[in-house]
Amino acid sequence: MLYKITKESGNVQYCNFAGQNTSTCSSPAVEHFNHLQKIQTNSPKHPSIHRPILTLYISLEGKKRKNLPWCPHKRIAIASTKMSKQFTVPPVVFPSGGGVNPNVGNINQRRVPTAPFQPSSSAIPFMAFDMGSVPSSSGSLGGTISTSAVSASASFEDEEPLLDELGIHPDQIWHKTRSILNPFRVNLAAHKDSDLSGPIFLYLSFCLFQLLGGKIQFGIILGWIVVSSIFLYVVFNMLAGRNNGNLDLHTCTSVVGYCMLPVVILSAVSLFMPQGIGVVRYATAGVFVVWATRSCANLMVALADGVEEHRGLIAYACFLIYALFSLLVIF
Amino acid sequence: MYNNLGAQPGVPRPPTNPQPNPFGNSFYGAGSGLIRGGLGAYGEKILGSSSEYVQSNISRYFSDPQYYFQVNDQYVRNKLKVVLLPFLHRGHWTRITEPVGGRLSYKPPIYDINAPDLYIPFMAFGTYVVLAGLSLGLQRKFSPEALNWLFVKGLFGWFLQVSLLKVTLLSLGSGEAPLLDILAYAGYAFTGMCLAVLGRIIWRYSYYFLMPWACLCMGIFLVKTMKRVLFAEVRSYDSSKHHYLLLFIALAQFPLFTWLGNISVNWLF
Repeated sequence: MLYKITKESGNVQYCNFAGQNTSTCSSPAVEHFNHLQKIQTNSPKHPSIHRPILTLYISLEGKKRKNLPWCPHKRIAIASTKMSKQFTVPPVVFPSGGGVNPNVGNINQRRVPTAPFQPSSSAIPFMAFDMGSVPSSSGSLGGTISTSAVSASASFEDEEPLLDELGIHPDQIWHKTRSILNPFRVNLAAHKDSDLSGPIFLYLSFCLFQLLGGKIQFGIILGWIVVSSIFLYVVFNMLAGRNNGNLDLHTCTSVVGYCMLPVVILSAVSLFMPQGIGVVRYATAGVFVVWATRSCANLMVALADGVEEHRGLIAYACFLIYALFSLLVIF
Repeated sequence: MYNNLGAQPGVPRPPTNPQPNPFGNSFYGAGSGLIRGGLGAYGEKILGSSSEYVQSNISRYFSDPQYYFQVNDQYVRNKLKVVLLPFLHRGHWTRITEPVGGRLSYKPPIYDINAPDLYIPFMAFGTYVVLAGLSLGLQRKFSPEALNWLFVKGLFGWFLQVSLLKVTLLSLGSGEAPLLDILAYAGYAFTGMCLAVLGRIIWRYSYYFLMPWACLCMGIFLVKTMKRVLFAEVRSYDSSKHHYLLLFIALAQFPLFTWLGNISVNWLF
């Protein structure tokens, strides 16, 4: 091959025909363009017949890189190569900034603060053509686009991280899940604000373990969770009384979902237990069901007020729910 | 309603509608607008009329559900003893009334062992479904769809029992017992059935004497309860018709229990 391409710490160094190193730049798409410019401008000795091969090699090389989802430069590279067969290639103008060709150094200065490819710097390569950084915006073509780019990039940087915006807080989920692991102590503070993302995660892992056991029960488990949480909601509020019951459905579903953790562990454990009817299976299922019942009843009594004297009644309702789920696991 | 029973001295007159707005009060405790708002909105939409009409009609057929859940542990234990061993119940079977706001209303279940409640029937139904699933699994026929069918079958059996009691009451000229009362009395059947199914799981042959036992006990319980309900409601006491119908209730328990207790995958038998 005509060009030796090596990678050093994420940057690509190109050597031209004469063996000289070209400058390294950090953005892979831009450096491909730079490289193309250098082909046309710096090596006039380079026969044009070799250029398509070279371009294809570069674009293939670019495609192999994991951090490029698609290679916009491939088409542009081949197009510019085709153009270069007939006439000299005009300098490529990035719409966001001025001409690339005369301001190679500018681009490098713009890109240098960011490491080779970091999504957080709002520099996804193909978007970089349209939404550059704010300061260098000149040119009529870039004018209108850059104003929208300014607002878009400003709001993109001001946006919350994705998980926060979705309301999923992994550390909170982890705290709550860990508090269920100890059935003898109720951690009320962790469960005060209910969320449904932890139960959804536990539901998915339960379905996953069932799937590993050969049972496809996604819809069934979801339906049973919904029905049983409605059932528990109605029973709890009726038992609590007219003035006391302040459990809402969201909290109820959250508690039922989190206390599903022992059942999830049961389904994981039962994958390794001997098949068929055995006292061992029933005994372990019983232990886990009692664990789930205990934590669920304790949590519900602690979360909503007015049901201390009905503790056993609530516990029996929870017991029924988790026994139902353990049936799915055992059989 | 109960109010136009006329003055029969000594006969308690249970009103069905002690509060003017039972739904609002009972579901206030439900803690969210979910039930109340949902029912209010959909009630209006479905019946297409003002909420007052809807509420008054619903309250005519559906007395305050909160009353049936005022239970505690002691009541549940004693009531289970009454339902499963009714011949050991030494006391009377009438419900205690108390004057509330100028009317006579029944005392809540905490204070009165003979008052019906809805907690035990619901829990018994749930236990029946779980135990039926367990016995299906032991027969190696378990599948979640089969369990769903068992749930529907149990609901249908409950409905059959309710309709049996309701038809009996109607044919004697008084159909105005609150629906939730009848629901509660019918639901007590599931306790005996749970016992029979549990016996079947533990030892197969115990089913053949636990089932008739449960039928008999339920029959006695229903007869005694219905006698009190009828005595409280009907104007004329037609002795022979009464007795035949009560006997019919007791005998109808046997096929019902056999059908519900026969836990298998197919629906009909």
